[in-house]
Amino acid sequence: MTIVNIIFGLSVGFLFGFILTRTGITKYPRVMGMLLLKDFKILKFMLTAVISSMILFHLLGDFGLLKVVPKNLDWGKLVGGLIFGTGMGILGYCPGTMAARIGEGKKEAIFAVFGMALGIFIYALTIKPVKETFLSSEINGDIFVLLGVNRWLVIIPAALLFSTIIYFVNKKVSDNKKIF
Amino acid sequence: MEIDNSKEWHWFKGGILVSLLSVATYFIFAAIADRNYPFGITAGFGYIAALFGNLIGGLSENPVIKRFSEKPDAFIEFFLIIGLIIGGYTASKSSKTFTPENIPAVWEKYHGKSLPKRYIFVLSGSVLLGYGAALGSGCTTGNILQGWAHLSLGSIVAGISFFAAGIITAKILYPKVGGSNDNS
Repeated sequence: MTIVNIIFGLSVGFLFGFILTRTGITKYPRVMGMLLLKDFKILKFMLTAVISSMILFHLLGDFGLLKVVPKNLDWGKLVGGLIFGTGMGILGYCPGTMAARIGEGKKEAIFAVFGMALGIFIYALTIKPVKETFLSSEINGDIFVLLGVNRWLVIIPAALLFSTIIYFVNKKVSDNKKIF
Repeated sequence: MEIDNSKEWHWFKGGILVSLLSVATYFIFAAIADRNYPFGITAGFGYIAALFGNLIGGLSENPVIKRFSEKPDAFIEFFLIIGLIIGGYTASKSSKTFTPENIPAVWEKYHGKSLPKRYIFVLSGSVLLGYGAALGSGCTTGNILQGWAHLSLGSIVAGISFFAAGIITAKILYPKVGGSNDNS
């Protein structure tokens, strides 16, 4: 089983890394350009993936082939999200792209891997107070249960909203605009 | 600073491929690791942190270290990170965009060539990235690419927080970028 796990991990990582690098998602100017609201290629890429996965996952769920398990809401999502976002702004890339960047020969990313692991290690050391403060209560993350509506009444408007965002940023800003 | 992007795939192609990969991964993960979530990245880094923790010792009862050293998904995602490195290498070599560098050229242009200065930012940024991903239970992949697709309330809040804090940080680091329209 271990061998299967290793091969599976390597294969998914390889394909994901190949797509990220080939699409240009790993580039520092693209990530910073997105955060400066000047380059929207990464946003369009992410929202395309989200729309497609959203429809596929829920459709397969309706056929009983899989079960979508939503992440619950607690204060850790907000506070952790803000800490993560600050780190992403300072670093200029995120954990997945960090690894792909090592393969592209970007030397500093090797250093970032240790920093990232160190951050999780520090989290482990502080888990007791953090758990009491941020993770003690949570809200069910299933938005359909919370709203009490048919899931497609949320999925279709969400898909339309994301498509509209893609349409407008695509029309307004070229992916080849020089910003730095 | 020019970006050579003539060889890049279209965002639509990349996005669709990632979503197909997510769906395929979900089924394999469910079969071999008994988990109902497509791939993420954070647990793989958690695996490295757990190796570190077990090396130091005395932390074997820590719930975070325990979770990342025992659950098979952390082990798989550790190899996923290695796969990402090989994927990035293969993609850049095969498209002839393999360009080794110490620090990003854009950073150099705005903040100077000093390696120690950039490395202080790399270290602090990546530590925050690790801490935030652990606390928010997921990174951009787990909380946006997957979590938004699932319309998870927790992931929607986490993803919006990523952008909110990232946008403010980027503006502080590059206050003068993009202020005018004559740089196109």
